[in-house]
Amino acid sequence: MMLPGEREPVIVQNITGRYGRLHTKLMLDYGTNVAAGAAPGKAGQSVEGVPVFNTVAEAVEKSGARASAFFVPAEFAYSAAEEAILAGIKLLVVITERIPVRDELKMLELARRHSASIVGPNCPGLIVPSRKVKLGIMPVTAFAPGKVAVFSRSGTLMYEIADQLTRAGFGQSVALGIGGDPINGITAGECLDFVESMPETEAVVVVGEIGGDAEERLARHIKKAAHSKPVVAYIAGRHAPKEKKMGHAGAIIYGNFGTADSKIAALRDAGVNVAMTPSEVPVLLRQATT
Amino acid sequence: MRLFEYQAKDLFKSYGLQVPNSVLASDVSGVKQAFERLTPPVVLKSQVLAGGRGKAGGIVTVSEEAQVERAAASIFGLAIGGEKPSSILVEESFPHEKELYLSVTLDRGDRSFVAIAARAGGVDVESVTDKVVRRVPLAGVDEAFAGGMAAELALPPPQAGQFSRILVDLERLSREKECELAEINPLAVDAAGRLLPLDAKVIVDDNALFRHPEFAKLHPEDEFEGEASRQGFAFVRLGGDIAVVGNGAGLVLSTLDLVGDAGGKPACFLDLGGGAQQDRIEAALRLVNRLPEANRILVNIFGGITRTTDVAQGILTVISEGLTKPLYARVSGAEEDAAKNMLAGTPVKLYGTAPDAVRAVVNAI
Repeated sequence: MMLPGEREPVIVQNITGRYGRLHTKLMLDYGTNVAAGAAPGKAGQSVEGVPVFNTVAEAVEKSGARASAFFVPAEFAYSAAEEAILAGIKLLVVITERIPVRDELKMLELARRHSASIVGPNCPGLIVPSRKVKLGIMPVTAFAPGKVAVFSRSGTLMYEIADQLTRAGFGQSVALGIGGDPINGITAGECLDFVESMPETEAVVVVGEIGGDAEERLARHIKKAAHSKPVVAYIAGRHAPKEKKMGHAGAIIYGNFGTADSKIAALRDAGVNVAMTPSEVPVLLRQATT
Repeated sequence: MRLFEYQAKDLFKSYGLQVPNSVLASDVSGVKQAFERLTPPVVLKSQVLAGGRGKAGGIVTVSEEAQVERAAASIFGLAIGGEKPSSILVEESFPHEKELYLSVTLDRGDRSFVAIAARAGGVDVESVTDKVVRRVPLAGVDEAFAGGMAAELALPPPQAGQFSRILVDLERLSREKECELAEINPLAVDAAGRLLPLDAKVIVDDNALFRHPEFAKLHPEDEFEGEASRQGFAFVRLGGDIAVVGNGAGLVLSTLDLVGDAGGKPACFLDLGGGAQQDRIEAALRLVNRLPEANRILVNIFGGITRTTDVAQGILTVISEGLTKPLYARVSGAEEDAAKNMLAGTPVKLYGTAPDAVRAVVNAI
């Protein structure tokens, strides 16, 4: 995975849709260089002064972008992701929710063959405050430049926790949404590996939730990798019922698989400080970094 | 979306998978008629989505006509996981010597579909240690793949052939109907070596339903869950008395934890979704105001793209329409001072943090 640099050109897919337009404006306001947009049949239009092209290939050619913020509806997501990857996009930030899981598997397989990274799907995107880079939908008021990396399966919990971190004096080096679906592109383990060699990151916050075994896998990875930077985690859903999808497609407990208790125990066993509430995160972070 | 067993078995049949002869009955007299049409002994199976039907008493074998009425009445009256059946599947029993396990399911960690088979069926597959797991290619499996699994299970030749055909059909069903899980547990083997699926569990990928209109309306839905789904809300009914509303699945999940930790019982999980506007908060408050088991409402909003002033305006509108339940709210983020001013002087109880709002709503009664 690579993170775009300051003023590096990026594109927006489905830039002429309701969310594409709104967030293009908000990304530009933040200082991100949205240099082109793609929307089939909309060539020649512009959105907030950003030129629109029919294809991703043209948008990439005219802008030189390697990264795309993806706002394509779920029904068309696979073919639009394929178009982006074949056009040379190396960082595809998929905001779209409700993509069928088999389409996600196909997207990931194609991305792997072309050495492209997918962030999400069903995520708020990523933000690098010191570079004024935002590829996503997060409210920028919650974030400030700093040294804590935040990785989250949930969007609003990422904002809530980033906001509490910012108020407590902990800015963020990067915040990235892993996604709320059963299948994710970039995993929390890969994110930890990435920030281990990112000098501006001094500590990591991981926000998990019920469903699947991503946090248990992360715990095994932390034990094996023996990274140097302290990790604080928060897991939502300790009181969630079984067999019920709690908003996110991936947030579901089957039997005893995917419970918050299992995740918390695995992370603690790996030496991670686990907060019981969002407001406890800055407290544990202060303990871990002093 | 999880299918009822009888729906899953209908789907099995359309893919060439054999299942026992059966009749679906929606009342006791229907069960009696079904008994007459089938060859006893028959198995009466409660059609609920909850697991653990056998242990709970939702599956009863009957051989004599005299037993039918009583057994059927007891199953119709039996709630399993809070769920009473609206039908009973009456099925001819299949005397067998051995039970296998077979499924095609999503392996989230491996990011692929896998076929799982085991020589021990009828039990929770998590507890089976000697299972065979193979990654399913995106294009599907063929007889050679299936034969390889049968060989790993050390099935004798005639059984191996049947097993392979069943796996190929099950995988094709899973792929074409975009199932997260297609499971046969148990896959019974009788004395003559014939394999027959006795149970069928199918969970369809909710996000793929737009490609599968055939699954629409398969479920009798809860009135409130149905309305919430039409409004585009993520909504789960939880049985307690505090309606929990917020923007974003993780935030609402985290709010449920705060309520639970404080000793409260949530009536529902309601996620307005990202970028929620005034009309959405209004629709959500109207919905939970009608939810009979909820006697108070907790709203937790972290405003960003959702403007807190839109939320406040939505709350004011619903109050003017006659909101009857006390409302506790934490509204934080963009434009929060303006939002708080708008709600000052109204019956809404406003708190600066989520834990403060939760403590207040839990201790209100």
